[in-house]
Amino acid sequence: MSGDAQKLTRVESGIKGLDRVLHGGFIKGGLYIIEGVPGTGKTIFGNQFCFNQAKAGEQVLYVTLIAETVGRMLLNIRNLSFYEDAAIGVGIVYLSGFSELKNGGLTGLLHLLRREVASRRASILVIDGFAAAADFAHSREEMKVFVQQLQTQADAVDCTVLLLTNPSEQTPSSEETMVDGIINLTSSLYDWRPSRELYVRKFRGSSYLLGVHSFQIADDGLTVYPRREALSSSVGIDNGELQRVPTGIARLDQMLGGGIPSHSITMVVGPSGTGKTTFGMQFLAESSAQEPGLLFGFYETPARIRTKANAVATRLTRALDAGDAQILWIPPSDQLIDGLADRMLEAVQERNVRRLVIDGLGGFKKAVRSRPIEPFFSALTHQLRAHKVTTVCTAEVPEIIGPTMTAPLRGLSDVTENHLLLRFVEVGASLYRLLSILKVRDSDFDSALRLFSITSNGIDIAENSESAESILSSFSSHARRADPVRIAQEPGR
Amino acid sequence: MADGRAKTVLIVDDELGIVEVLEFILGDAGFTVISALNGEEALARLKQDTPDVVILDLMMPIMGGAEVLKAMRRDPKYSAIPVILTSALSEDTVREQCDGAYTLFMRKPFKSQQVLDAIARFLPSNSKSTH
Repeated sequence: MSGDAQKLTRVESGIKGLDRVLHGGFIKGGLYIIEGVPGTGKTIFGNQFCFNQAKAGEQVLYVTLIAETVGRMLLNIRNLSFYEDAAIGVGIVYLSGFSELKNGGLTGLLHLLRREVASRRASILVIDGFAAAADFAHSREEMKVFVQQLQTQADAVDCTVLLLTNPSEQTPSSEETMVDGIINLTSSLYDWRPSRELYVRKFRGSSYLLGVHSFQIADDGLTVYPRREALSSSVGIDNGELQRVPTGIARLDQMLGGGIPSHSITMVVGPSGTGKTTFGMQFLAESSAQEPGLLFGFYETPARIRTKANAVATRLTRALDAGDAQILWIPPSDQLIDGLADRMLEAVQERNVRRLVIDGLGGFKKAVRSRPIEPFFSALTHQLRAHKVTTVCTAEVPEIIGPTMTAPLRGLSDVTENHLLLRFVEVGASLYRLLSILKVRDSDFDSALRLFSITSNGIDIAENSESAESILSSFSSHARRADPVRIAQEPGR
Repeated sequence: MADGRAKTVLIVDDELGIVEVLEFILGDAGFTVISALNGEEALARLKQDTPDVVILDLMMPIMGGAEVLKAMRRDPKYSAIPVILTSALSEDTVREQCDGAYTLFMRKPFKSQQVLDAIARFLPSNSKSTH
């Protein structure tokens, strides 16, 4: 490419998320390979790019070398929202280059491309099925010369070129070494679920987001979800003065020394039924115009919350009706974890959310494919802190009753500042709930176990730890009575 | 056939696959088929062999279907030849781009019977059809 780096002009793809990965889009006049096996979305990628460019007033030439006719291809994309019939023939022209290639080889194809780009003053050229060109090349050298000529031509007229092709059997192929960038698309199954991934293998002239990024193909075409870990390093944090954010549960605030530290992440851990969601709802019910709240959840729908007949739901419904709180319910489906994060952060930024409840971590865990969740969650929480959000995240553990509990994340302390543990204790025929604060970063707190219950007014925590001690003593003596063998083995008995 | 000669269809399309399929369908139906891969070639072929019907694609390199239509309508030798215009676009869009100068529109992708039915509207009913 000619020109110094300062004069590089960007060509936005218009594909959501992709321009973020490319730090602004393609570089004008560049030659790029979009590679992937059949079915990975290359043709949709190419067409979506073309229609976006045509809408922006550019002249686009789409040349196909593949077996599928132009008519069949357009039929297949006609229902995608970016498609506009009126753009075709005006902003976008579709041509077949196969006959030129068949009759004249690479030379014939090059003449076609040169002539049509020039006569139509095309600033965008997409060649679909570029692998067919390689089939007509007599040698790797001939292919190299062709690509070089194409690159020179494109650069000279500031035409940005995309070559849609299959991955080369020879690595690196002739063209790979010469083009300005290579984007790889893959599509696979992970545990019965689809997994589509995009990876920038090469991108001259600019930095880009490294690593693999997920993407989806839906009615609006391709949407790319940049990997959260790759994004987070650009976000700075201003720690500022530490303040306390009330939880909506007065006794808990006392135990915490006034409330949760502002802009921190609190993990509420416990088995199913211990009241984690109720904790979250009470926290959210404290939302106000000055502290807008958001529940990003996978379990409770807004309609279901409104039908609950208790004081917490009533307070929360008031906050919802006033617009101080919002519930974003995510239905169970094949979600992408970076897509969930994008959606949540968009909602946070849109309303300047200050109180966030994530109910719960399990919803994100289900959306993970093959990569570990800890770096993702660490990046996500980092961004929430940067947005000055105080977050409560619920996390279910599989053990309902018992002395051991599996931590919901490895390295939990690296990711969250505050940990609340909820658990059941079974004594005789009764089930009790206990709460303890395990950690509050850089703060004093009351670490004693407390008994609590869920009432129509919400979480009711015992005034002190006496009732918890009493319960645990009863539990201990019940356990002794239930296990005569163990009693016999104790020293002194 | 009324005058004893096989009717001639000129196919104008840059997609070689479509040209070959139409050659097969129409040849099998007893028509003489000539073809061109772009508008410039099409006008040259018109001068050599005046066809009875033209099947004309809209978007082509060098010269597109709209320009071919304009040239044909301007020339009394060709202005009366029926033109079946083909495109992947909707007819509303095509009509706007061509000022409605074509005789019939056939949206791509089309089926072989559609082609034969379209041709039958302009050519004598004793033209052979295999469908």
